[in-house]
Amino acid sequence: MRAVLAAVAVAGIAAAPPYPVVRPGIRLSFPVDHGAHPAFRTEWWYVTGWLKGADGRDVGFQVTFFRVNPHAGANNPSRFAPHQVIFAHAALSDPALGRILHAERAARTGFGLAGAATGTAAVGLNGWTFRRLSDGRFASRVSGREFSLDLRFRPTQPPLAQGENGYSRKGPKPEQASYYYSVPHLSVAGTVARAGKAERMTGEAWLDREWSSDYLAPDASGWDWTGLNLDDGGALMAFRIRRKGGGVLWAGGSYRRPDGQVIRLAPGDVTFTPKATWRSARTGALYPVAQMLSVRLPGGVRRFPLQPMFSDQEVDARAAGQPVYWEGAVRTITGRGYLELTGYAADLKL
Amino acid sequence: MRAIETCGLAKTVGIDRELFTGLSLTVTPGELVAITGESGVGKSTLLNMLAGLDDADAGEIRIEGVALGPLNDETRTKLRRERIGFVFQAFHILPYLTLEQNVALPLALISPDSAAAKAQAGVVLAEVGLGDRGRDYARDLSGGELQRVAIARALVHRPAVILADEPTGNLDPETAGRVLDLLARAVKSRGAAAVIVTHSAATAAVADRVLMLTARGLTPIDG
Amino acid sequence: MAEAGLLRSRLALAWLVAGEWRWHPGRFAATAVAIAVGVALGFAVHLVNGSALASFEQAVTGVNGAADLQVRARSPLGFDERLYPRVATAPGVADASPVVRLSAKAGRARFELLGLDVIRAAAVTPSLVGARSSGPDTGSDDVFAGDALFLSRTALAATGARVGERLRVLANRRAVSLLVAGTLPGVPDGQAIGAMDIAGAQWSFGKLGRLDRLDLKLDDRTAADTALVRLLGAEAVVATGETEARQGDALSRAYRVNLDMLALVALLTGGFLVFSAQSLSVTRRLRAFALVRTLGLPKRGIIAAVALEGAIIGVVGAAIGLAVGYTMAVAALRLFGGDLGGGYFAGGTARVVFQPLAAGAFFALGLAAALLGSILPARAAARAAPAAALKNAGDVLDPRAPVPWRPALLLLLGGGVAALLPAINGLPVFGFTAMALLLAGGVVGVPWLVRRLLSPWQDRDLGTAPRLLALRHVHGAPGQAAIALCGIVASTALMIAMATMVTSFRGAVDSWLGQVLSADLYMRADGGDLDPAAQQRIAATPGIARAAFSRQLPLTIVPDRPPVILIARPVSSNAGDPSLVLLDKAPVPARTTPVWVSEPAAWLYGWSPGSDVALPIGGSRRFRVAGIWRDYARQQGAIVIRDLDYARLTGDKLRDEAAITVAPGFQTDVVRRSLMARLPPGVAVTEPATLRRFALRLFDRSFAITYVLEAVAILVGLAGVAATMSAQTIARSKEFGMLRHLGLTRRQITEMLATEGALLGLIGAVAGVALGALLGQVLIHVINPQSFNWTMATRWPFGTMVGVTAALVGAATMTAMLAGRRATASDAVAAVREDW
Repeated sequence: MRAVLAAVAVAGIAAAPPYPVVRPGIRLSFPVDHGAHPAFRTEWWYVTGWLKGADGRDVGFQVTFFRVNPHAGANNPSRFAPHQVIFAHAALSDPALGRILHAERAARTGFGLAGAATGTAAVGLNGWTFRRLSDGRFASRVSGREFSLDLRFRPTQPPLAQGENGYSRKGPKPEQASYYYSVPHLSVAGTVARAGKAERMTGEAWLDREWSSDYLAPDASGWDWTGLNLDDGGALMAFRIRRKGGGVLWAGGSYRRPDGQVIRLAPGDVTFTPKATWRSARTGALYPVAQMLSVRLPGGVRRFPLQPMFSDQEVDARAAGQPVYWEGAVRTITGRGYLELTGYAADLKL
Repeated sequence: MRAIETCGLAKTVGIDRELFTGLSLTVTPGELVAITGESGVGKSTLLNMLAGLDDADAGEIRIEGVALGPLNDETRTKLRRERIGFVFQAFHILPYLTLEQNVALPLALISPDSAAAKAQAGVVLAEVGLGDRGRDYARDLSGGELQRVAIARALVHRPAVILADEPTGNLDPETAGRVLDLLARAVKSRGAAAVIVTHSAATAAVADRVLMLTARGLTPIDG
Repeated sequence: MAEAGLLRSRLALAWLVAGEWRWHPGRFAATAVAIAVGVALGFAVHLVNGSALASFEQAVTGVNGAADLQVRARSPLGFDERLYPRVATAPGVADASPVVRLSAKAGRARFELLGLDVIRAAAVTPSLVGARSSGPDTGSDDVFAGDALFLSRTALAATGARVGERLRVLANRRAVSLLVAGTLPGVPDGQAIGAMDIAGAQWSFGKLGRLDRLDLKLDDRTAADTALVRLLGAEAVVATGETEARQGDALSRAYRVNLDMLALVALLTGGFLVFSAQSLSVTRRLRAFALVRTLGLPKRGIIAAVALEGAIIGVVGAAIGLAVGYTMAVAALRLFGGDLGGGYFAGGTARVVFQPLAAGAFFALGLAAALLGSILPARAAARAAPAAALKNAGDVLDPRAPVPWRPALLLLLGGGVAALLPAINGLPVFGFTAMALLLAGGVVGVPWLVRRLLSPWQDRDLGTAPRLLALRHVHGAPGQAAIALCGIVASTALMIAMATMVTSFRGAVDSWLGQVLSADLYMRADGGDLDPAAQQRIAATPGIARAAFSRQLPLTIVPDRPPVILIARPVSSNAGDPSLVLLDKAPVPARTTPVWVSEPAAWLYGWSPGSDVALPIGGSRRFRVAGIWRDYARQQGAIVIRDLDYARLTGDKLRDEAAITVAPGFQTDVVRRSLMARLPPGVAVTEPATLRRFALRLFDRSFAITYVLEAVAILVGLAGVAATMSAQTIARSKEFGMLRHLGLTRRQITEMLATEGALLGLIGAVAGVALGALLGQVLIHVINPQSFNWTMATRWPFGTMVGVTAALVGAATMTAMLAGRRATASDAVAAVREDW
């Protein structure tokens, strides 16, 4: 789950009826579901992971493409009619730098400059791409002023359908849900270029795919999310949606054991407990950057202490008219992954 | 040392009008020489040559031993400024300067010290009997008074040589006599050498020597 | 050593200057004022022009939102939107923001409506992105909504709309109701701009498939420039904010330079005045200078003293001039507007911006004029042998002395050669050099002219002694006459030159208007407002024999020149049309499309009859220049294309103007009224007489400021004549005393002086008018074609010539008589005895 993003322009769209409603009982089918679902209001391709260069130092990265259907100009014959809008974020976390490098882009679809194809993953935005190659690998290329990434992702495990076979609830109402699957333990290889110097790197990543029309409950203020590639080949995804004014509105997740068995986590099975906070000098937001994640499994409660790679992994995209959130590489005792903290600078709208 | 020393001077004006040739004149400090002669014989030209305002065709002029011939205009001007005093027939008192300033003008040309120049001018003005008129202007004075101012101006910077061209030409005989006495006394008391071009017998009377200028040069009258 | 000598003499120099100052404070003040007037005029004109240009540039930047670079359509028809992805992905281009540009109306308010992709604009031109009002009533707008309109503060005030209300917006002949969703806080005040979604703008206002502009953000300018050159077809050009500013600059630059030149003429006249005054003062002080030379001041001391006086005059005059000039600029902007009536910078309010650099330049010019006017006579004085000068009772004239004529001839010849040289960078630099040389030659030649004019009268019996004396004096001292006259000769010459040019220009425009406006009624609507239906309605109005519809479109040929006007209209035959005044023509072979270019267009782009030109109409095509027509209306150039060709090439059937011929037996006024009744409001129908009156009023307005500048130059010149002549006369009081001794009566002396004055005035006028006629030819045949690109036939302003001559003769006579009365009032005997 993720998302953060697209609050942007889509901000005020009232939940207009024309979007399809997310309902249980679907079957995910690949590679078609790697491609776009343009009728739904929001959708994303979200890759996070850890990389290591020749010198053995770790860096974290994030590449995200969002697709938004603003439901405007439906009858407008203009080639500029905003049928779909694509946003993209990319970020690089390097502990040596102590802050995140990030870049973002946006465009309405059309003119071959931006688009999200159906049938398979092929998202493009002014030269930034995320696509599925014919051999089943994914590839992404993004470049900003301070860095560029050119990465290949080889799946080592089958996709992990979240929720009930891909129907993932986000709130008390059944329609407050998304279609959601993840691909954990992607093997990464590629080039990371900074300050004109390119470096070959390898590592492990996590792909999240999610599409929906009515994602957040109106009284939600934001969420905490984490996806962890465990050292034993297991994968853990957990999230909680916080209520405005305090408390937890909804929670969930799933744990796939190394043997492939999936355990669904109900709202009561997931607890996030802040262990350390960090205050951003840029935005004044206070983030619980270190947390204790407790997950109730059939064998009893298992604890995953989440320690950030470094504290300042805040993404401040206000200059591009986009929201502020924390998206950081985290370690746990038995694995590594990413933690996302949204709605701490201001209530999130989606 | 001789104040003025000329030797074999010759001057031709126009194409071939020869004024004089072989002219020699020596004036010692404290000596007052009067030069007379017919109109057009070249008296004023001679005076201008002595002042470095005109060039000789032949011969040499030395002022205090310095030959004028090889000097350029700048150096002659400097010499004139510092070592020569002038008295004219027309008094040439600048109407827009005070008498004190008029008298101090030669000093003002030499040094920018205004107070010293005016003090010195006051002394010399007193000497010519106009000590209380320093702040007046030319239009307030009679001809005789103006010429006394002119004499004061010729003396103020203690020149070695005083040149006067018909200094009494515009004055009545009585005034002329007084002005000449004044000039003669001043020359004597300062040990300056003076050359006065004149027609008047009165001038000749105060002179140590009277010379007549003709085409052949200077010849003494009386002795 | 020499320098030290001059430095040591500084007390004496100070006394000399201060003494002169105390003695003639009025003279010093008058010369300082002459310099002040020149500097003030020059600085004021420059400030006003600069301020107008600055406000124009600001307006340009506002509409453009400060993009790095723009790709702009060559004509209002726009370019194909498929160019957008190709430019957006070109090397060196970081981001491209597509723009649809419309001129829109809401009620009576006009604003520029921009259709933008808000996401692209946020990256490239953030100042054009709207801010939504976050009030409770405006909760759920969408920036992508096709009907959301964002207005700049000025547009909001002009339309009277409020955020949250709907506004009926008219553009491109379509009226659309838009929701005012917010404001454009990034757009500076004074600029009426609206922004909406690009897709909505394309669809609602009939611009589907077309764009007017791409605003670019670059990360490599060189790469982008190279790539864009290859990408852009015939419909678009690359432009920057600079090029648009240059367009505004190019259009008005010649006019501004001309005004600057006129202002400099006033300064030049001031310089001549300083010259006159200082010449006189130096002549008067010749013996004083000789005295101090004798007392031991070097030659350069004299020059230094007079130059010091000139410097003081210059510094005081220039400083006063700058202050007065600034005040005048503020006042002029209020009264005339930023273009001083030239009509170049419509709209937009200009504020005076102090320009330190220009201030420095004008200060230096004023100082230079004063110094030069002083040093020239001082050099002459320093050359005089001190002994002779002391001895002589005054300046001794030699009436037989030949008057040099070679310098004047050389200067005049130089001027003639300069006049033949071409313009530099669109500015008639050599033209103005020619004028300066001719002017100098004319002034230097005055003494020769005096001799030449008076010699035949030397041996005649003139009847009275006073007249004889007057003639002899002027004839014998032509240099003095020249000194008195130089200022007035210069200013008269320039006034006559300007008058000749303006008279010729006005006459040419007037007769051209008569030829061009041959129809009975003219109709004008907003750009493209007459669609085929409206055209039919008009043509079917009873009483109309013929309606010739035309379309006018700005067409960019070169990015940094203002667009030429493309006029699509009926042309009766390939050999031209009665309402196209052809200056030159060429045959049109079959299978070529003819165009007729205006004279300025031909000059600007080097087009000649019979040549082929490429024009960005209907793709890039070549056209045959069938003729060159006279046009005084469009300085940026215009091209006429036959309406049938235009429609065939572009498919554009809209028209915005019509020339209507009324059928015999119908009254024009009746037809006009029934036509008005059939047309929507906002369409103007006028008769040719009204148009002609309007055009000539505009013309006169744009030249009003030049009349003012000329008048000032003449007044300064006349003041110079008066001052110089009275000073010269008073300096001759000894001569008058002698004449009185000889038995002349005061009356006779006055008569003599009056005759002299009249002679001088007449000579000044003859010289000034003759020189002016010559300069006028340079203006008409060199400077005008080079700066405005049009030609005209000369028409002489006989009235002005006679008037100026009469005024000059009268003024000189009066001055001489008045001065003479003062000079002869004093005691004749005292005058003779006077030492100085």
